[in-house]
Amino acid sequence: MAFISSGYDPAKPMKDRITDIGPRYYEEFYPPIIKKNKGKWLYHEILEPGIIERVAESGDKLYVIRVGGCRLMSISHIREIMEIADKYCDGYVRWTTRNNVEFMVPDSKDKAMALKDDLLSRKQPGGCYKFPIGGTGASISNIVHTQGWIHCHTPATDASGTVKATLDVLFDQWENMKLPAKLRVSMACCLNMCGAVHCSDIAILGYHRKPPMIDAEYIDKMCEIPLAVAACPTGAIKPAKYELPDGTKVNSVSVNEPRCMFCGNCYTMCPSMPLADTEGDGIVLMAGGKISNRIDAPKFSKVVVAFIPNEQPRWPTMTTTIKRMVDTYSADANKYERLGQWAERIGWEKFFEKCELEFTHHLIDDFRDPAYYTWRQTSNFKFT
Amino acid sequence: MVEFKHKTPMIDELETGPWTSFVTDIKREHESRMENPKGIDFQTPQKCCDDLLGVLELSYKHGRTHWKHGGIVGVFGYGGGVIGRYCDQPEMFPAVAHFHTLRINQPMGHFYDTKFLESLMELWERRGSGLTNMHGSTGDIIFIGCTTVQLEEIFYEMTHNLNQDLGGSGSNLRTPSDCMGESMCEFACYDTQEICYQLTMEYQDELHRPAFPYKFKFKFDGCPNCCVASIARSDISFIGTWRDDIRIDQEAVKAYVGGEIKPNAGAHASRDWGAFDIQKEVIGLCPTQCMSWDGNKLEINTPECTRCMHCINVMPRALRHGLDTGASLLFGAKAPILDGAQMATLGVPFIKIESPYDEIKEKVIEPIWDWWMEEGKNRERLGELIKRQGMQKLLEVTGFKAIPQMIQEPRSNPYVFWREDEVPGGFKRDINEFRKYHQR
Amino acid sequence: MGEEEDKQTILETLQKKKGKSKFYLKDFYKMLPDMKARAVKNLVNKMVGEGTLEYWSSGSTTLIGLKGVGKQAHTEED
Ligand code: HEM
Ligand code: SF4
Ligand code: SF4
Ligand code: SF4
Ligand code: SF4
Repeated sequence: MAFISSGYDPAKPMKDRITDIGPRYYEEFYPPIIKKNKGKWLYHEILEPGIIERVAESGDKLYVIRVGGCRLMSISHIREIMEIADKYCDGYVRWTTRNNVEFMVPDSKDKAMALKDDLLSRKQPGGCYKFPIGGTGASISNIVHTQGWIHCHTPATDASGTVKATLDVLFDQWENMKLPAKLRVSMACCLNMCGAVHCSDIAILGYHRKPPMIDAEYIDKMCEIPLAVAACPTGAIKPAKYELPDGTKVNSVSVNEPRCMFCGNCYTMCPSMPLADTEGDGIVLMAGGKISNRIDAPKFSKVVVAFIPNEQPRWPTMTTTIKRMVDTYSADANKYERLGQWAERIGWEKFFEKCELEFTHHLIDDFRDPAYYTWRQTSNFKFT
Repeated sequence: MVEFKHKTPMIDELETGPWTSFVTDIKREHESRMENPKGIDFQTPQKCCDDLLGVLELSYKHGRTHWKHGGIVGVFGYGGGVIGRYCDQPEMFPAVAHFHTLRINQPMGHFYDTKFLESLMELWERRGSGLTNMHGSTGDIIFIGCTTVQLEEIFYEMTHNLNQDLGGSGSNLRTPSDCMGESMCEFACYDTQEICYQLTMEYQDELHRPAFPYKFKFKFDGCPNCCVASIARSDISFIGTWRDDIRIDQEAVKAYVGGEIKPNAGAHASRDWGAFDIQKEVIGLCPTQCMSWDGNKLEINTPECTRCMHCINVMPRALRHGLDTGASLLFGAKAPILDGAQMATLGVPFIKIESPYDEIKEKVIEPIWDWWMEEGKNRERLGELIKRQGMQKLLEVTGFKAIPQMIQEPRSNPYVFWREDEVPGGFKRDINEFRKYHQR
Repeated sequence: MGEEEDKQTILETLQKKKGKSKFYLKDFYKMLPDMKARAVKNLVNKMVGEGTLEYWSSGSTTLIGLKGVGKQAHTEED
């Protein structure tokens, strides 16, 4: 491997520097049929799961095939997508906000159906679909997620692996539209929640349960103690002196453990404060959130399982618990009712009963002011 | 046969089942790099995908991550766009010892042509790991994994040859993102792509260089269905809406009732829910009960409608949003860190979305930024500032008049902090004058 | 005060700080109390462009300090 310069000169970083040019103008990448009919679409119809017909006022028709994508995608895979787009879609393709890929076939339904067969015929060596079709209508769309053990320093679980395990279990709901309404699952691997998991029908969240360790011998050499102190959102970290076994006194920190919310911000600032732990780390499940304003206001997801240990590589307790929630909801909810709307209608006490979830004291909110508003201030409740 | 240095029995179990396997995909990239039919002189170690699998396997074995953070790496003069990443077992996995992330500002709506995609892929294959996120949660294209020296080289080639810039991270404007909107969706009430692009360009300085106490996000949803979740995750959420009547095609309504058209655009087709019942499924579920159907004509009492989209979603061929369109602006969504999660709060019930968006820039965005830059504490999101200083302050800053649309209900305590100038005569009074009539 | 003096104030204040090398943008406002926040921001970013200051990013927050100063600076050089 020999270094090849782009033309950049490290000694003169400002030479020929181009900055602040932003993204490319999106219109360059519109297929002609979209350029022509933008803002003039009349209606759409889901012909079958994953295949949408979009009809414009002009009479033009666009067939969109939605396929699932791993958010983590190799360029070899992307090049295969490009090859398909060149063959069927005049070289255009788009991604959705949930990491799905949409192939847009203008005019010809036959061509779209040929594309469908082509997509489903492409498999990975282990038998997985390269391009699973679905995710439309009253189904479970792709699970949006964060980095996990693949690439972040604070995750309490893996992201891509939990998502793969869950989607394998829920696959029937991906490729069919049998649910009462759409169901959105999201995954974030620590409480910073880089993804928008807090408003999902079902959220998978990685959670640490042990405060950071302190590498007292090294902390003053590797980190700036005031920065570690300032990093903590709950003010749990204080400067402290520490005596090493050989008697030398070093500057270090102490953590007020009951105040720690296990966020990992200290580790971001200071590599001498790691908090990952095999037994301590695992999964929180949340449920009942939504983003859409349809019928009622958006809702936050609620914690319904406070902790499930990490059971890599396939997290069976987590996936069976999720599956049970989905199946119970599917059997019990009314048409158009989102999971959270169903839970509120029947009452959360019934939700726990029907989903066979154990209720524990961890599920009662005690985090700051809003907690009070989640307790019950009435004598009306249901016996379970 | 391409060789793999690391045995990966645990993650290999993720190579079966119907859903696409990311493990298989990473292996595929490793094979492609080792076979290297184009003879590329890889600038990030050729075996990085293999080592990445090794790191991941080790994490599966330990139940702990093996990555460390590195905050200084970046490109010169930019505060964001790069996340520094180091492996905590560099001797075992030398090819990913330094494995930084670049955020690339995505084209609006995530539309691509294969020519542009190939130019990105060609660059990232040669200079990076060949692994991406399409896309990160904020919307950027994420290039995962390259060495430190490659950051400037990639930036240089990207700006010079691809006419393409990085996205945001850190305490600045984050890469704005949008729903597909008018490009393909008949529900869109304004051009999400255009405003998203124009504001991204207008505020390049705020996007690349730290300007604020913490991150700031705009997101653009074309209608209240909120496909990009702006209401839950942006400091200013733009949600398309309209003020006039929902347009009704009575013949199409009858076609739905007669079963000729599948309800909800066919979204429930895999299950037998029985015949479509307009009374139960539309009229009965309308949250404001503002619809009526006499078996022949559908009527909507527009002043009562809250534009929740339910009826339009169920009968898209019969109902279309009104023509007097614009957006509602909501402020201050944030994740639970630190004071609990917040949904965005309605601050501008209706505003027209028309290029060049002067009213939005001058009456909304810039005054809010000035306020937040002056008053916001370190790492305080706009939503927390609004909570701390009150919604009244937000209205003072933007100059919008308080109207009942902005609230769920009026306050249930009378503890109004009246300002001196609101009370006739002010607060300064003469105690001696008072004492003339009231004994001590 | 002229721009050069403002820059000097920033540099001197930073050099005086012991045990801490990275600061929030807001900390710079306090060094130049008479200047508008936006102007301080522009000046700080300019100094980064000139190579006297540098950024440090946690991914979610950006800190700013003197270039090359700080305990992790060395380990993070490639
Ligand atoms: C204290 C809060 C947070 C911290 C310390 C934090 C830190 C990080 C770090 C270190 C990464 C890099 C992961 C990697 O690529 O290696 C990251 C990625 C990311 N974060 Fe955050 N984050 C925080 C909150 C958030 C929030 C609230 C959001 C979004 C709403 C967010 C959105 C993202 C996005 C979009 C990425 C890109 C990678 C991805 O999509 O997973 N982050 N964050
Ligand atoms: S959610 Fe947490 S662990 Fe996951 S990528 Fe974001 S900061 Fe890292
Ligand atoms: S993990 Fe978070 S809450 Fe706990 S000590 Fe570290 S910074 Fe503070
Ligand atoms: S938010 Fe509304 S306009 Fe945008 S894509 Fe979703 S349904 Fe369409
Ligand atoms: S948009 Fe919602 S509130 Fe308005 S008529 Fe339709 S269902 Fe009723």
